[in-house]
Amino acid sequence: MKILVPVKRVADPDNANKVKVSDDGTKVTSDGLEWKMNPFDEWSLEAALRLTEDVSKKGMKGDDGKPLDRIGEVVLVSIGPKDAVQTIRQGLAMGAERGILVEAEDSSLDSHVVAQVLAAVAQKENPDIVFLGKQSADGDSNVAGTKLAEMLGWPLVNYATSIRTEPGSDTLTVTRALDGGVQTIEVKMPCVLTSTDRILHPESVKNGVTPEDHKYPESEGGRYASLKGIMAAKKKPLEETTLEALGVTPKRTEEYVKFALPPAREGKATVVESVDELVEKLHSEAKVL
Amino acid sequence: MSLFEPTDEHRQLREMVRAFAEREVEPQAAAHDRSESFNLDLFRQLGELGLLGITCGEQYGGSGMDAVAACIAHEELAAADPGFTLAYLAHSMLFVNNLYQNGDEDQRQRYLPKACRGEAIGGMCISEPGAGTDVLGMTTTARREGDHYVLNGAKMWITNGAISDTELGDVFLVYARMEGAARNELSMFIVEKGFEGFKLGQKIEDKLGMRASPTAELVFADCVVPAANRVGEEGSATLHMMRNLEIERLTLASMSLGIARRCVEIMNDYARERRSFGQPLNRYGQIQRHIAESYAQYMAGRAYAYAVAGRMKLDAPGQRLDTDGVKLFCSTMGKEVADRAIQVLGGYGYVGEYRVERLWRDAKLLEIGGGTVEAHQKNMTRDLSRLDRLR
Ligand SMILES: Cc1cc2nc3c(=O)[nH]c(=O)nc-3n(C[C@H](O)[C@H](O)[C@H](O)COP(=O)(O)OP(=O)(O)OC[C@H]3O[C@@H](n4cnc5c(N)ncnc54)[C@H](O)[C@@H]3O)c2cc1C
Repeated sequence: MKILVPVKRVADPDNANKVKVSDDGTKVTSDGLEWKMNPFDEWSLEAALRLTEDVSKKGMKGDDGKPLDRIGEVVLVSIGPKDAVQTIRQGLAMGAERGILVEAEDSSLDSHVVAQVLAAVAQKENPDIVFLGKQSADGDSNVAGTKLAEMLGWPLVNYATSIRTEPGSDTLTVTRALDGGVQTIEVKMPCVLTSTDRILHPESVKNGVTPEDHKYPESEGGRYASLKGIMAAKKKPLEETTLEALGVTPKRTEEYVKFALPPAREGKATVVESVDELVEKLHSEAKVL
Repeated sequence: MSLFEPTDEHRQLREMVRAFAEREVEPQAAAHDRSESFNLDLFRQLGELGLLGITCGEQYGGSGMDAVAACIAHEELAAADPGFTLAYLAHSMLFVNNLYQNGDEDQRQRYLPKACRGEAIGGMCISEPGAGTDVLGMTTTARREGDHYVLNGAKMWITNGAISDTELGDVFLVYARMEGAARNELSMFIVEKGFEGFKLGQKIEDKLGMRASPTAELVFADCVVPAANRVGEEGSATLHMMRNLEIERLTLASMSLGIARRCVEIMNDYARERRSFGQPLNRYGQIQRHIAESYAQYMAGRAYAYAVAGRMKLDAPGQRLDTDGVKLFCSTMGKEVADRAIQVLGGYGYVGEYRVERLWRDAKLLEIGGGTVEAHQKNMTRDLSRLDRLR
């Protein structure tokens, strides 16, 4: 199985309160913040790694020196300036096999252009799955995956919470959480997926090769790159390409007009005597009940 | 790339350890400090990441990295939990690195892969109830009897000596003197839990800080050690001890750097938010002095430590003066920065919730363990007295 995982670098979302709007309101500045892999992409990368590994052979190598625990291929793609290579290296250190950097200025991109580029890469790479983050932690637009599926004409499952497949099968069984319950979808590959954090649950990904009873450790994010992984990543192939080389003519559909910080919150705290009084106030004053 | 991260691998290492420290180490720190207990499960995770054998060769399950990498790992882990990091240091530097540098092929094969995976917890024994700074005043003895050695004596303050109240750590490098040998001729032995005559004296309770690292007294009463477990020649261990103490001092100093960074972050954050007389605290000159001096001293210590780490060769001595200097400066710096952090936070700094109270207690140990500041002053002055000019 071959999975294409787009990864974006974003200004450290744990310090989102330090993001500022430039004085003229034309852009959001993130000066002084560290770049991190978009956490939503990290979830999908983790799921992609789980789909393409055999945990029972962890750390084992074949006679040719190739790792036996990898039973598929994960290809990372990032669109951005040269620095974005660091984000790709991080993914390679976590275990992906190779990376592609499509060089572009961050400011020249919107969700549509991103989807165009990913469609071009997907057509070249022919993956079984393109596994995106559901959104990026900076723009929060939540549309690239859907646009990509539309452009490719591939089926799409957004917000996957679990995935199950068997070796050699061309179908995935994917669940999603809906308001009223759990929806189970059978989807034929090639397809486009996005995920939620539930995909990180210890038993959310089953590929029919890793022992059925294997439990991944509880985690808030993807796996940590081990030192071995960091060293190995140096030797993994990383291809650099451009929009032109991919034959993409960018067609922006969004223009950012103006950014402004939300007005500072106002509010007062009232101490109530009883639950009854609280319910009464929520009903009559706050009007939320 | 910078002094602190000379290559891209060093940068990735720092990112990885910092993420791990923030997500996994920080949340458990307060509880293990309070209960004075060692977090074995978390420790084993360091093995999966390749950190337990960070400077050990890959053929023995290590990661084959350098002194700078060791500094990075200790600095980042200590920013979250110095106590846990001290246990890491005793295992990865005092046991794994020491045996990797000084052991023979058979000893490395037998002990290092397990230690790098975290299946065996290791430590190193120099100090004794009656001899600390006066290292060569140790009285633990060894004598040869046929195909084995017999050790007698006691070792004190041994980090990882116990992994619980009653259970010994797994494997130790023990320094002792052959009966009748000269004062400066020490020998080193690998002693495993389960060797006849090797016992837990006591787990040391009620430490001021570093409470998440277990400390113990270990007793050797006619302890039987196979001859194959003697590391190096009889009487040759003084040199490897001195060499390994260099990386020990450097990584202990890196722990002080981690403590200092965390304390600067916490006081900086607090002084921005907390208001007094209608203004944030960081508008007041006295508070500015705490913050600015802490930062400058932290950066000075950091620059010194990484400059020394960058030229340090793990398989050769040669940085005695400056590893003493780095630890002398950083240990006291870390303690003072933690002290200022408490001061900036006022009453909130004095309780556990804001973390600086724990970091302050932990910081103090670094003025004592691995050589007291007085020992560094003594040794540095001796080395300096042989120099006329500084390069
Ligand atoms: C938490 C903890 C963990 C430790 N882990 C280990 C470990 O894993 N392995 C290990 O071998 N040891 C370990 N130690 C021991 C540590 O290295 C010693 O405590 C240290 O070397 C000091 O020795 P001492 O405690 O015997 O003090 P002493 O040597 O008795 O010193 C007492 C005081 O006298 C001063 N002093 C001594 N001699 C002189 C002198 N000549 N000139 C001026 N002042 C002097 C000292 O600086 C100190 O202030 C640990 C200690 C602690 C507290």
